Amino acid sequence: MAEPQAPKLAGDKVAFLLSLVPYLMDRDRVTVAEAAAHFGVPQERLREAVRLISVSGIPGETATYQHGDLFDIAWDDFEEHDEIVLTHNVAIDESPRFSGREAAALIAGLNYLAALPEHSDSAAGSTLMSKLARGASASPTQLAVEVSQTNATLALIRESVAAGVQLEFDYLNARGGRETRRVDPLRIDAVDADWYLRGWCHSREAKRTFRLDHISNATATTDAITRRADDVSLSDRLFEASSNDLVVTIDVASAAMSLLTEYEPERVAALASEPGEPGSRVRVMIRVSHYHGLKRLVTSMNGAVTVVSPALARQTVKDWADAAVSRYS
Amino acid sequence: MAATVQKIPAEERLFSLVLALLATDGGLTKGEILSTVQGYRQRHKIGGDNATLERQFERDKDDLRELGIPLETIASPGDPGNNQNLRYLIPRGSYELPADIRFTPEETTLLGLAALVWREGSLSADARRALLKLRSLGIAATEPVLGYAPRLSLRDAAFTPLNAALEKHVLVGFEYLKPGESAARARLVAPLALFQHQGRWHLFAEEPDSKLTKTFLLRRIVSAVTITSTTFPAPPPGQGERAIAELDAVWNANLATVEVEAGSDAAARLLTRRGSILTASGALDLHYADANILADELAGFGPEVVVISPPALRDAVIARLKRASADHG
Repeated sequence: MAEPQAPKLAGDKVAFLLSLVPYLMDRDRVTVAEAAAHFGVPQERLREAVRLISVSGIPGETATYQHGDLFDIAWDDFEEHDEIVLTHNVAIDESPRFSGREAAALIAGLNYLAALPEHSDSAAGSTLMSKLARGASASPTQLAVEVSQTNATLALIRESVAAGVQLEFDYLNARGGRETRRVDPLRIDAVDADWYLRGWCHSREAKRTFRLDHISNATATTDAITRRADDVSLSDRLFEASSNDLVVTIDVASAAMSLLTEYEPERVAALASEPGEPGSRVRVMIRVSHYHGLKRLVTSMNGAVTVVSPALARQTVKDWADAAVSRYS
Repeated sequence: MAATVQKIPAEERLFSLVLALLATDGGLTKGEILSTVQGYRQRHKIGGDNATLERQFERDKDDLRELGIPLETIASPGDPGNNQNLRYLIPRGSYELPADIRFTPEETTLLGLAALVWREGSLSADARRALLKLRSLGIAATEPVLGYAPRLSLRDAAFTPLNAALEKHVLVGFEYLKPGESAARARLVAPLALFQHQGRWHLFAEEPDSKLTKTFLLRRIVSAVTITSTTFPAPPPGQGERAIAELDAVWNANLATVEVEAGSDAAARLLTRRGSILTASGALDLHYADANILADELAGFGPEVVVISPPALRDAVIARLKRASADHG
């Protein structure tokens, strides 16, 4: 799993310490390995945290941090058996509340996922959200996300991923053609309102990403998948770079650059702004798997992107726009 | 003597501060904190100049509040104006997660997925800390949330400062470029909520003078966001839901009729969209919230879509297509 990453800030480390103490208090004895796995941190980071807790405490009546004012652990168990036994605690009784921002992030995340098959019980969902709001130290910040729309295909794919069986479906590709694909379904991705299937495509003998709304007539087969998610590394990038990618040079309005993140633009030069156009433009290189996606992208950007080269890419965009204009005459 | 003072790591100082402020019933003065709490006491000069240490304490207070730790102050009853006599404490009831708020393994799984949604951008740290606090309760998730990798994108640079202003209830300033206007205009508004509608982030805000609420698309904020120090009263909860409902009403009232080429990419995306209706004549009725955004999108479909009505949308799509053609001629 991609989370949690190494906490970089002292604040994150404090949040970890304040979360770890109640966990240890609830367990009479726990191995470093088990606790580290539970929190999703490296074992050495957990040992460091336990060492810090064991020498921490409150100033106490003498204001000099006497022995009884400090946490204590069973040192032999820790040093010889890698086990944690908290033998004395101070100040902390319970887990901390969520912050207003933390609760808001979880509530909005739940709302976004409310259409998932796992999430079908909406009463349970709203109980969960109200528990989060009550469990926060401040009112959750006002963050709202629409429920993401899904369809029956998602439930079928989810079942196939869980069962580890191959899927067969008709797929509408970017060139406008329809073809039958057989796929090992590995993961369901979503970015905002769009859902995708990541899988190993038997027809192409390669990793592929499929838009859910381009899949039709999906059926689960009884054949077991041949590759698992662990065998094929899946990055967060939906469309992974390939040696067959085409390199295209484009001019982009600086304000629109954030919309092209997925294409991993490589900056070539800054350009002078054009007369009558607000904002600056930059020249960048992007990689695309074919010009069919590019022509759709460029014509949807209302002049914010212009293809510079190669000539065939420029022509593909122009032909696409001209074909569309001719439908209006 | 000074040379032998050991360096206390920031997390140890912050952790010790939390423990001390949780353990006190009547609160601690700044003087007591600086002279007795681990991490401060080593650097405290009795009767000397502690200005650097006092600034450290101010930063530490901000860091703890940033983590959602409720750090409160009590004014001295006899001497309310004197900051030196302010007493600091963390009230246990505001800090501790109430005992009746616990999560089942199924809920823990869902919350893990909800946190994962924010792995891109500025809310990832909040989501990560929320997970630590959740794990503090010791409940294991029913299964690792493999199989799903949904995410909400946070590519708008304005999101992070707006979210900070939302939490502090302060006015924000930015330049906003309305479609159809040639220059951006400066705005000063009270942020009420951030919300995502149809995959795009919006700010719901109130103009301080007119008290009118306005919705801003984050993508059209063309300057850096200025966070002012002018506060306004916290709005009642549910502003984000209210904003989504208002935009939904606009979406519902706006209807476009288009012709879509059967079996095309446009058909796959538009037919499955919420509220899309295929009319008897084979045309498609679509709802939309923002004509400019819909025009961008429809232009991207090229000849696969022809706009029938409204005329302004039709003209906007034709203008985009002609511009794309001219830019690539």
